[in-house]
This record gives sequence, structure tokens and C-alpha cells, in this order.
Amino acid sequence: MKSGLSRALCVAGLGALLIATAGPGFAQQADREIVLGAIVPSSGPFAEWGRANTVTLQMIEKQINGGGGINGAKLRIAILDDATKPAQATNNLRKLAGDDKALAVAGPLTSSAAEVTFPVANEMKIVATSQASSKPGVAKLNRPWAFRNTIDEGVLGRTTVPYYKKSFNIKSVAIIFDAKDATAATVGSRIMPALMKENDIEVLNASDPLSFNTGDLDVSAQVTKMKALNPDGVVVSADYSQAVTVIREMKRQGMIKPVVGSTQLISSAILKAAPEIPIVAPATFYATMKGDKPEKFVNELQPLLRKTSGLPPEIEPSMYDANIYEIVSIYIDAIKATGVTGKPEDLETDRAKIRDYMAKLAGFPGLGGPIGFNDDGDAIKAFYILQGESGAWQSKVRGCSAAPGHPGC
Amino acid sequence: MMSTYYAGLLADVGILLLGALSVYIILATGQLSLGNAGFMGIGAYLTSYLTVTMGVPLTLALVIAAAASGAIGVIIGFPALRLRGIYLAMATLGFGEMVRSFFLNFDAMGGAGGFHGMRHVSLGYIWTWAAAILLLVAILEHSQIWLELRAVRDDETAAALVGLDTTTIKVGAFGFAAAVAAIAGGLFAHHHVYIEPGNFSFERSIDFVLAVILGGSTVGAGALVGALLLVMLPEHLRFLADWRFAVFGGLLIAMLLVRRQGILDRSLFRFFEFRRSA
Repeated sequence: MKSGLSRALCVAGLGALLIATAGPGFAQQADREIVLGAIVPSSGPFAEWGRANTVTLQMIEKQINGGGGINGAKLRIAILDDATKPAQATNNLRKLAGDDKALAVAGPLTSSAAEVTFPVANEMKIVATSQASSKPGVAKLNRPWAFRNTIDEGVLGRTTVPYYKKSFNIKSVAIIFDAKDATAATVGSRIMPALMKENDIEVLNASDPLSFNTGDLDVSAQVTKMKALNPDGVVVSADYSQAVTVIREMKRQGMIKPVVGSTQLISSAILKAAPEIPIVAPATFYATMKGDKPEKFVNELQPLLRKTSGLPPEIEPSMYDANIYEIVSIYIDAIKATGVTGKPEDLETDRAKIRDYMAKLAGFPGLGGPIGFNDDGDAIKAFYILQGESGAWQSKVRGCSAAPGHPGC
Repeated sequence: MMSTYYAGLLADVGILLLGALSVYIILATGQLSLGNAGFMGIGAYLTSYLTVTMGVPLTLALVIAAAASGAIGVIIGFPALRLRGIYLAMATLGFGEMVRSFFLNFDAMGGAGGFHGMRHVSLGYIWTWAAAILLLVAILEHSQIWLELRAVRDDETAAALVGLDTTTIKVGAFGFAAAVAAIAGGLFAHHHVYIEPGNFSFERSIDFVLAVILGGSTVGAGALVGALLLVMLPEHLRFLADWRFAVFGGLLIAMLLVRRQGILDRSLFRFFEFRRSA
């Protein structure tokens, strides 16, 4: 009897396997529908960013369709979760490009995912624009279909580090980074040491790099080592959720030193972890930004984010929400401006039109200022050096990622 | 014609199958390795170096990487002789993390920035390797060698008393498994055309073990079933949005509760053989 039940359950298991391998019932593209794709990490380490991106995308979809759609066609944004796994991101892009016939794709979010997804975008001849990847050279390697609505961390650091040095009279630093995060590791092990050298700041642990791994909860040993070096400041290269662990530990050990980092640090949560520790980081958008466009964006999105389950009740729109909003807005503008039909027979031509529009884009009205793209596929846009003070980000310096003499920004 | 999306998923299945088989081979001797992602990483980096920097044809590069990784597997296998159960699992886990950390700091292969320049391989190429190695394992399962592996797993002391060289068997299994994992790594690198140390972390090793446990740890074909489920099921649960991984985890637990030995096992094969002969 028991073996009979076991066999039946085994057959059920095999049945589940057959269902798992059978064709999914994804929605088919309807007539007069413009399909855009998006790849966001709604699960995994960056789930908060991915879920907030999803709400942002749903908001813009509703806004566009509420306003009559795009040239009379309904906008549909097919949003897929990559779980912060590069392999899933590539499969998502293949699905969006091949099965869903999306005209262009917003995402993926991380540099690790972009590294493997952008070659597929080139292979399938579809524009993919990352909302957060800022590791140097990722889009440049995958021209002409890869773009990033972000600025290379190396470019941002050239303005961030001199401001940090001048503001806090920094002569020496200790560097700690998340070794498991490709962007954080690159910034912490290569970009920041080089920038410190350029600015005559001594890296006290240059021969003894301090690192931790994504998910580590105890960094007390690393912080103790940094404290013993007695640096004037600390470079924390990690995404905000991991950096919070380091900054909390610094506070616990009484190491109240100014912190500098990359765009990965920008979040409201990090300022609440230790308000007495000044934090300097670059951003292309921040929730308290002044101006009609950013304020309207925040006023519309923030209530939606705060009523979404799975997101913190005090959440504010992030730079990555702004970036993905801008990416979709640029795509919509491209569709309207270049006569994209959205018809299946025109798919290849339509995608090429969007690519060409993106490559020539200049002065698109973004949330933080005009946007264009350079020859490497990275955004030419304004950025701000922010300083976290008493729990809020304050803009200290406005910069531009355009080369000197370029009309961008 | 198959969509590129399904082709990508099937490529992932093929690569996971090889990783799972590498765990299965070691498991056949009663040992559990949680560090096979390390061997996969060695294979991925070495194959990529050979094809991109040295211009070696991919198939030859895979064979060289498999041989090199196999040799490392044998070296790792010797200390493993002194450890059993959870202690061996922890030691192999440490090896995997050591390999990942090595490549993180190995600037010649890109370090934290990763390595690229590989040429994309077709689904057919990946599955030629996967099917060939699955077939090889299936043939081995009906050979004297596999009986010896199982004898070591069932009772190592008794196996030694009847004259089996248990050291060679256990170390050999580690070497063979390391070679298979290296091939998985080489194919992974040339499927995704970019690798970074994070690709070969502990989570990857867990995926391999999970595929074997889920599909069935007593037959090689179980690795195929496990790989199919681990890759395909989360994709087909996308309609559950943010809940898909919670449901996926629940389904795995439910599956293991009713089939502790995995979906496929020897008794199941015997059952179907009996029905056919009847």
C-alpha cells in the first residue's frame, strides 16, 4: 500500500516535471499594443530596488494608457524578475525579445547581470538599458545595443573624492568593500585606490585590503582593524543594505569618521543607521531634489511605494526608480518620434529605430536634468555629490558626466 | 522552431546537469561535496583563458581544463580521505570559497571585474557534452567500477576487507567529478560569454546538490530530472510574481517529504522493468 502511494506520488512528481517543462501560458501580444520589457530583481539581494522599480513601471504604464496610449496603441510593460541572478536575466531578455516581441528592454539592474545580458541584447538586436549598472565599461563592451542610464563610477569618483577631501580635510583613508558584489569589489579594489592616489590621499590598508561578503552580519573584526589604523576617513564600497552593517559597526565601536562611497550608498535607510557619521556619495537623483519634474515624480510615486506590501513603510523613490522611469520615457519618446509601428512584421526595423534614436539622443528632459548617451552607451547627465547630514541627503556639488566642451547637461 | 528563451533555459539545464552529475559521482562513494562550484570555476577560468588568450579550440580547451581540474580534484580527494559526513562537506565548502577568493584577487583573469571575450556556444554543443557525460555515467553505473563505488559507500571497512582499494576509489571519484564540473564551468563561460568569481559561489554548489537530491541520488538520470525541475519550475511559477520562490521552496519540501530518495530511484526503474516484462 505504501509503495503504491509512493509510486502514485512519484508519478505526480513526474507530472509536475512535465508541467514545468511544458509551454507556459504567457499572455500573447494583442493588436494595437506596444510592448516594452523590463528586467528587475523582485527577489534576491536587491529585491527592494526591484519591487520599487516594478511599482514605478506600473505607474508609468498606467499614466501612458490613461493619457490615450502611444500613438493610439496601448502600452504594455512585461516585467520579469531575474532574482539578481545573471543567468535568469539573460533568459528573461531572451523571453522578452523572442517570445514577447518587446521593442526594447529596461534593465537589468546589476552590473553582473548586465555583463551577461548585454551580449544577448546584441545577439538578438534589441536595445537594453540598465537602470543601475555603473561598473566601468560594461555598455562599452556591448555596442551598439547596450545602454546605461547611469554614469560610470570612475567618472563620478573624480568629483566625489576631491569634495570629500576638501570638506573633511582627509589625508588618509581605510577602504572596505563587499568582495561578492562585482561593482563594489571593482570600486573598492581598483577605482577608489586610484582616485585616492590621484588626490594625494594615503590608503592605509593598501597592502591589506579589507573585505566582507554580501550577507555577512558581523564585520566587527574588519572595523576593529580599520579603527586601529586611525584613518581620517573610510571608503565603504558596498550597496547600501550591506554598507549599513559596516556603518552600524563603526558607530558601535565609536569610529565616527566621514564615509565616502559610490552611488550604491544612496538610500534613506543608510542615513538612519548612524546619523552622526557623515556620508558622501554621488547620485543622479535623490528624493528631496527640488524642481517641478522631480517633485511631481516623488509625489506620485512615493504613496504607491509606501502602500506596496513588501516595501518599507518609510520608503522614498530611489535614483534607480528615477532611472528606470527615464528609460521608459525615452523609449516612448523614441516610439513617437521615429514612427515605430509596433507591428510584428516591423519588429526588426522598429528596434533599430529605437537604437538609432538612443544613440543620437541629446537633451532629453530627465528628472534631474537633460539626458543623452555617449559613444560608450553611458548616460550624459547631471549628477550631484550628496552629503548625508542628520538623516537627510543634501546636494553639495552639481557635476556633469559629459566630456569637457560637450553640450550635454 | 524552439524559441531562444527555451534554448537559453535548456542550456542552463545542460550545464546544471553536468554540475549535478559531478556531485552524484562523489555521492556514489558516500561522500558529500559542497565545493564543486570551485571545480566549475577552475574549469570556467582555465577554458576561457585557453580559448581567449591562447586561441585554443574550445573542445581541446575543455579537455585540458577537465584534466587540470581532475588533477586538483585528486589532490583535494586525499585530505578528504580523513574526513567524513558533515566534516567533509565543510572542508569542500571551504575549498569552493578558497577558489572563489583566489579568482577574486587574481588580476591576470580580471579579478573582481570578471573575464570576457569568449565566443558563444550553441545549445547543441552544450547538450552534446551533457548527453555524452550522462551516457558515460549511465554506462559506468552498470560496470564493475560502480559496484566498487557503491561498496565503499555501503561499508568502507567491508569493502577494504574484500580487497578493494578504497583510497583509489574515493580519490578517483573526486578527480572524475572535478573534471565533469570543470566541463560544466567551461560551457557556462562560453554560454554566458562573461564570468566573475561570484558565479562560482556556495549557492552554485548548493544548486548541484539540490538537483541530485531532488531528482534522485541513486541513479544518474536523477540529476537530469533535478536539473530540469530547478531550472524550469521557477520559470513556470512566474505568474505568482513575488511569491514564486516561496511556492517553489514549498514544492521542493513537499516533493522531498513524499519522495525522500528523490523523484527517480532504482526501485522505480525496477518497477517499470517488471511491468514491461510482465
